[in-house]
Amino acid sequence: MAERGGGDRGGFGRGFGRGFGRGRGDRGRGRGRGGRRGGGRRDEEEKWVPVTKLGRLVKEGKITSMEQIYLHSLPVKEHQIVDTLLGGRLKDEVMKIMPVQKQTRAGQRTRFKAFVVVGDTDGHVGLGVKCAKEVATAIRGAIILAKLSVIPVRRGYWGNKIGKPHTVPCKVTGKCGSVTVRMVPAPRGAGIVAARVPKKVLQFAGIEDVFTSSRGSTKTLGNFVKATFDCLMKTYGFLTPEFWTQTRFSKSPFQEYTDLLAKPTKALLIDNSEVVEA
Amino acid sequence: MGEVLLGLPGPWAEDYREKADYYTTKIGGLPDWPIPEVDISRELLHCSLCGGRLSLVAQVYAPILSPKLNIEDRAIYVLGCLALNCATDPRSWRALRIQKYHEEMKPSLTSSDAVSLQKEFVCAPRVNSWLEDNMLGNESSKVNDESDSDTEMEDLGRALLEAAALASSSKKQNGYKNTDASARYTVAKPRVEDTGVPVLPCFYIYSQKVESSGDMDAVCSGYTSLSLENRCASPDTEDEEHWEIETYEYDRALSADRTYLKFKKQMDAHPEQCLRYSYGGNPLFATTNLPKPDICKRCCSSRIYEMQLMSPLLYFLQQAVDGSSACSVDGWSWITLIVYTCSRSCCSFKESTESCCWEVAEEAIIIHDD
Repeated sequence: MAERGGGDRGGFGRGFGRGFGRGRGDRGRGRGRGGRRGGGRRDEEEKWVPVTKLGRLVKEGKITSMEQIYLHSLPVKEHQIVDTLLGGRLKDEVMKIMPVQKQTRAGQRTRFKAFVVVGDTDGHVGLGVKCAKEVATAIRGAIILAKLSVIPVRRGYWGNKIGKPHTVPCKVTGKCGSVTVRMVPAPRGAGIVAARVPKKVLQFAGIEDVFTSSRGSTKTLGNFVKATFDCLMKTYGFLTPEFWTQTRFSKSPFQEYTDLLAKPTKALLIDNSEVVEA
Repeated sequence: MGEVLLGLPGPWAEDYREKADYYTTKIGGLPDWPIPEVDISRELLHCSLCGGRLSLVAQVYAPILSPKLNIEDRAIYVLGCLALNCATDPRSWRALRIQKYHEEMKPSLTSSDAVSLQKEFVCAPRVNSWLEDNMLGNESSKVNDESDSDTEMEDLGRALLEAAALASSSKKQNGYKNTDASARYTVAKPRVEDTGVPVLPCFYIYSQKVESSGDMDAVCSGYTSLSLENRCASPDTEDEEHWEIETYEYDRALSADRTYLKFKKQMDAHPEQCLRYSYGGNPLFATTNLPKPDICKRCCSSRIYEMQLMSPLLYFLQQAVDGSSACSVDGWSWITLIVYTCSRSCCSFKESTESCCWEVAEEAIIIHDD
């Protein structure tokens, strides 16, 4: 057979120990029914092949906004999902790079911890923290983690419901470690009354006016920033009279697109084409 | 042992039912058994839940070439059930290991070997009679006299290289033509007549070693960020604040833990990987609480990790199935499927009827669902 002929044959050896078998000549690289891709490794890495079911639905375009994901509390496990749905509106900023040291026998080993906040200044914000040996790696890793942690932020009014919501809907408080951060609704024009670091997070969230009050050891940057983030997470967890009406449950995206399979074959083909046309 | 081989997707098969041989590594299509299918026990080929026929998901040529164990003719077949109800149940999956019993001290098997092998290769398409003749010559010389076979192998190797180049160039041209869907491929191909067997879209796999992690930065460079410049933009305000010392912190996101993030990092390095192979190595887990495989039923030795199927495989199959045939590949939603095989790669030796040179053993599959 083709493989038993010899050991050394370019990249292809015999069997899995040194390569794969290849019963019909050179397989070649390149993929796709429509023809081959140009370029080599670089193209492979930039193209996103979804790993999770949610990722596949997003890639196909069946899910169009983050709100559908938040409504059903689906875990977002791929940052490319957030890239696809929020795309160009998402901005990121590094809040701080701090060196973290560990004592080893051969001296001290320094790594860098990067705090990155991403947000679209319109209700979505994410926070990422990453430690790495190099600054650039830490920043890139933190951006990915921040995108994985994007949450919706609820905004409301201080008084009259005129114009767009500009402040938090109610008093909320978040805690991380010993730091508690309390956010209080503020009238228009008050601006964000907070320390420099949480102010950045609140700006990215899209909150224009708020009074804050913090307690605990706010010198720990990690805890301070996570407490603010936790506080923002709670804005949608607070039950207000608007939510007193009966919830109308809708189908989760997984269910919606799996129910098609429960119908018999002919109907399946018809349904597929309807979905495509719609 | 520590190195990992990735199975990356190659070209699609022109016809999903086309026949290859058991040395081919491919996804989907019809399984290429080294022995006639009637010799494989019926219950292994049928779903344990619904009784329907299992279809081939992956066929991997996996010889073991370590000093302790030397089995060249060994292949792993992963079979799955396409029925709608069985899609999510792990019991509907099956992994088979088919290997030829290899015994150095039994030269009496030579003639029967040659005869049985000739039967299989008769219907190999496109690599025709020249390959068969070489095969027979190779087999007999190999077993009888090691030194002669080396030189023969070199000649064979060279001849095969040339032939492979010829075959691949013609195949590529045919591949381009077929994408128009107007030019029909005219050479008659041997197919299996059994149209009742459900068949998944078929594509071939080529292998690549995992590159060193120094390339990770190259991967990440695609994530451009203005923040690299912004970092230097505000040093003055930072001097006024004095922050406490931070300690190392493991990666954490809202819905992803450390294990999953490491898995995702590997996936991002090679986003198209369909298969990871590392005999005896460590599997790439996506969570920490997957069940352990049970012991081998035949020899009661433990099972070790051999390979795992990854989700891009599912993505490619689902893309191909859209609109072409009604399989329920959409019902599958696993992240990875880990195959464990017997650590001794056992096989019970039977006396010399031809078909018993090949042993079929069932192996363990652990599924990690989404």
